[in-house]
Amino acid sequence: MTRRVAVVAGGHAKFGKRYDATLRELCAEAYKPIYDAGITQDRIDATVLSYAASQFTGQGAGSALMADSIGLQEKPHLRCESACATGTASIRAAYGMVASGLYDVMLVLGAEQMNRVSSATATEYMSRAGDMRWEYPFGISFPAFYALLASRYMAEYKMPHDVLAKISVKSHHYGAQNPKAHLPKEVTFEEANNAVPIARPLNLYDCSLITDGAAAVVLVAEPRVKEFTDQPMWIKGLGAGASEMMIQDRPSLTSIPGAKRAAAAAYKMAGLQPKDINMAEVHDCFSIAELVAYEDLGFAQPGKGRELIENKEVYHTGRIPVNCDGGLKSKGHPLGATGVSMTYEVMAQMRGKADKPSRQIKNVKYGLVHNVGQSGQFVNVIIYERGWS
Amino acid sequence: MATEHEIYLGYSTDKAVTPFFKQFLESLEKNKLMKGVCPKCKKEYLPPRQYCQKDLTECQLVEFTEREAKLYSFVIVDFAPESMASRAPYVVAIGEFPSGRRLTAHITNLTSEPQVGMKLKLGFERVSDKMVTYKWQV
Repeated sequence: MTRRVAVVAGGHAKFGKRYDATLRELCAEAYKPIYDAGITQDRIDATVLSYAASQFTGQGAGSALMADSIGLQEKPHLRCESACATGTASIRAAYGMVASGLYDVMLVLGAEQMNRVSSATATEYMSRAGDMRWEYPFGISFPAFYALLASRYMAEYKMPHDVLAKISVKSHHYGAQNPKAHLPKEVTFEEANNAVPIARPLNLYDCSLITDGAAAVVLVAEPRVKEFTDQPMWIKGLGAGASEMMIQDRPSLTSIPGAKRAAAAAYKMAGLQPKDINMAEVHDCFSIAELVAYEDLGFAQPGKGRELIENKEVYHTGRIPVNCDGGLKSKGHPLGATGVSMTYEVMAQMRGKADKPSRQIKNVKYGLVHNVGQSGQFVNVIIYERGWS
Repeated sequence: MATEHEIYLGYSTDKAVTPFFKQFLESLEKNKLMKGVCPKCKKEYLPPRQYCQKDLTECQLVEFTEREAKLYSFVIVDFAPESMASRAPYVVAIGEFPSGRRLTAHITNLTSEPQVGMKLKLGFERVSDKMVTYKWQV
């Protein structure tokens, strides 16, 4: 039995340095709008907790704590982990359980609290997502993995850093209009192009943030969707892809092979092509990652992604709006919450509920989420379809 | 973990030194870089791994003799992981040998900004009493 599955509701905590909250409060913030909309605990069959890295808080069995925080401690729950792609891996897992008929109604709750340690310690923990034997001993930080992509891309396509700075300017332009964003402020091109170096050629404004936050969505099987909403967002296609563990072993560093595989699978399942997509939430953990995503998702030919940002085609009124919520760069990147937050944003845009008209994308029928774990070892692409006219 | 003669790779080390890895490190102390070769399917691994990814056969360590490479990509790490903070900034490079094999290591003697495509030479270094590494030099 395979049933159609829709996202029917969502909630989103404020992203940022949340010294005022623990995982418990972040989870409650994310679930409260869903509860207030009438999706109370008794209507939820089971939960997938999206929580990437326990070392930041030191909290073991964090997923049990998360479920307990919102009164779902007696319902079945499990934790998914795929590094930065944990959120969409959790949605994928819930989709499978709902489509198969195991459950009718599932909550996916993503949360991460990263600011319980210093930036240097957080950088240390994330560097351990590289191969511990062959990469970690050389001090390859998380930004450094993407800088290796950037150096190669810039050399092969003779592209200046200016292009990456333009992506950062766009991210902050939209993040400044998102009340949930971690760093809601505009930056100028000069600031973005000349910021302090982090992992050259990447600078501070090329890098996403170390963020605390949570987000939640509810997935329901088709026969019961009408009990929950008349504005369902159907999961039209989803694909997962993977890449080699060590970045040196990738055939190319100008794209992420797992992302291409995930996109191909999602488009095939949806019966759609890149030109059909009306908006995308892409995994811009670094500015170069957004540029590469344009190409891996088929919105631009290899080496031509820069035209999308240079011509502002990825702004909210452009041909393919991308990350009009500020993206990981400005909205923030609380690892386990990120993919869930992307899905929340697509639903908000489809429903015409973006916070301000200046970032509202018109008439979204198909929205795409692209969520990458580490430097591409895990990638999920999900295509959502508006279920009302 | 090694006991009678502790040796580790690189600058900020993973301390899981298995017998296979220890053999690799002992060769490295003699300025020999070893690759892994699967005796069954002949697939080669640089750096080596104990079991072949394809058929799970135990690989043999064989000396890798190429010494010259070209810079495939690089990063200058300014903000380092905590364990490497005292060394920053440092340059991590992926070098590509004529055979197509690649290797990730630091470039240790740059006097100007690295350029993709520049020539590299493989070298070796005793980092400390317990640490040894391969490295790139221009």
